[in-house]
Amino acid sequence: MARVMTAPASSPSSPSSSWRRRPWVRWATPLLIVAVLAVLPLVGTEFQNETLARIGVFAVAVLGLNVVMGYTGQVSLGQIFFLGFGAYVTAYGVSQDWNIVLVFVLACLLPAAAGLLVALAAARLGGLAIAMVTIALPIVGVPLAKRLNEYTGGSQGLSARFAESPEGSGLYDDQWTLYLVIAIGGVVFLLTHFLVRGKYGRAFAIVKGNENVAASMGISPYRYKVLAFTIASAIGGVSGFLYMLVIQYTSPETMSFGHSIELLAAMVIGGAASIVGSLLGGAFYVLVPQLTNQVDASLTALLQGAILLVVLFVLPGGLASLPRALTRGRRRLRAGRGPAAPPTTPSSTPGSGTAAEQPETERQGHA
Amino acid sequence: MGEFVQLVVDGLSTGSVYAAIALAIVLVHSATGLVNFAQGGMAVLAAYVAWVLTNQSVPLVVAVLASIVFSFVLGAVVERYLMRRFERGDPDTAVVVTIGLLTLITGIAGWLWSYNNQQFPSLFPLDTVSFLGVSISIRSIGTTLSIVAVMIVLQLLFVRTKLGLALRAVAINPQSAAFSGLPVERLLMVGWGLAAVLGAVAGALVAPQLTLTPGMLDNALVYALAAVILGGLTSPVGVVIAAWMIGVLENLAAVYVPFIGHDLKIAVPFILLFVVLVVRPQGLFGRKTVVRV
Repeated sequence: MARVMTAPASSPSSPSSSWRRRPWVRWATPLLIVAVLAVLPLVGTEFQNETLARIGVFAVAVLGLNVVMGYTGQVSLGQIFFLGFGAYVTAYGVSQDWNIVLVFVLACLLPAAAGLLVALAAARLGGLAIAMVTIALPIVGVPLAKRLNEYTGGSQGLSARFAESPEGSGLYDDQWTLYLVIAIGGVVFLLTHFLVRGKYGRAFAIVKGNENVAASMGISPYRYKVLAFTIASAIGGVSGFLYMLVIQYTSPETMSFGHSIELLAAMVIGGAASIVGSLLGGAFYVLVPQLTNQVDASLTALLQGAILLVVLFVLPGGLASLPRALTRGRRRLRAGRGPAAPPTTPSSTPGSGTAAEQPETERQGHA
Repeated sequence: MGEFVQLVVDGLSTGSVYAAIALAIVLVHSATGLVNFAQGGMAVLAAYVAWVLTNQSVPLVVAVLASIVFSFVLGAVVERYLMRRFERGDPDTAVVVTIGLLTLITGIAGWLWSYNNQQFPSLFPLDTVSFLGVSISIRSIGTTLSIVAVMIVLQLLFVRTKLGLALRAVAINPQSAAFSGLPVERLLMVGWGLAAVLGAVAGALVAPQLTLTPGMLDNALVYALAAVILGGLTSPVGVVIAAWMIGVLENLAAVYVPFIGHDLKIAVPFILLFVVLVVRPQGLFGRKTVVRV
């Protein structure tokens, strides 16, 4: 399944067979994706549309996490907090009958401002401090949401409906919602795609690779970490807006610690530093609990932990790197070097060697 | 006044639990350079082992001792078969591995023993003693003293024994330690085992109060991480002091600052943390480290 989903969307720069580099393919692929996305809501059942919309919501949340963690290399355990914050802002704004565009802008800006504040403090410590500080966000966020019950409705939560399909369009509500998710999510994905391909993306990659090299090139690791975290928070806020659009209800439980970890697992399993991986991560986040609940609900956490560890061991690039790993394995097979090795990507697993062949460089990230 | 003293003593006791987990994190970090987010989860698993044994009518002290042995083995096994691959690589990947381990352990505990709260018998009586006209709970004093005792034993192990010397050598420079013939890999396993033992002691001491659930130590982990940042990753003494400070301050804030109250007291260490990070990023007691390119 992963292969089918990744094939049309993978970019021309990825190693691929020659047909994908032809100009007409480069033009036709995006057109095809747009066409499929335009038709999709019309042909699916209500349940399929709702599932797809939820995948869209969490794909955006995972994308935000990818900006700070996949592309900039700063582990964040607080992404769900920004989703929850955005959802609360949206719900409150809708309940006060504010203009929906204003609500959307606030749902981006307020989480971004919160993210900026957190990052300004957390990024001052190098290494893993961001992970250690952001783990507090969901754990403080839940009691905080319960406490501020004037705005959040306390433990009861808030519900809001604001996406009835416009009259005369002939669309059902679920179809209209899915169109909105595709449109807003699509714009966010496109913007992020350009962000990580451009100047900022290269700066993020250097900060991830080696902070000292980045600093020596005039790229302040501190500033770019704060920037990446703020952008991730803003995208988290957008996903919170979409969350209200689709699920129409939020409570303190939305931003629980468990969900935060699931989001991180979804990102790693989908594929770090990969746009397609974010989509796969969103799908994983929504579909796997659905599947495991059918088997045994108490197994969900166990399976998620196990899958995460297995992926880290055999496929560190996540599901998005599966086609490349398979191609490499096949090429190795063809080269006649004996049976194919398990599909690891050695370039991204510096720790895969035995302890005897440790890299000579000092550990980084303790400055 | 009596309330104040009681709050401080209770704060020291919860602070000791945070201190034990924080110290375990520092121990693992100094040996392998990574932060183990599953430290609390491993301690919960040990507490469940002790709980299962007490249900088989094994005496509580024996059950806790058995869970401590179990933890040592668990820590060593986790180091050998899970973490070793990731130890000298990208620290961020290793952190994600420990988060996966936390999810897995929580999942295993929830699957085997359900997510419901279980009663865990207390090692200390629930009475209070009167001291200078102030009544203080024995459990708080007992918890604090037990953890301090474990810390002193560990400190002696590190400073006075050959094993401790070898462990310190590995922490300072694994390559040189290997060149001088130390079994680095086995010592790393011992280091992880000792850290897990610290966690197990904390888990057994705090379980009666929190009641046993798979997520019992999630909050304690957050406090411990705050203590680690406040004290500085390089300073075990600083971490313990920071953990006590957090325990006492959050208890006092919960009672004397109406806006915070009991539900928001977890925000206290983080308000503290933000102030400290802005003023003194290396932590209160940590040293600035310089990295060569």
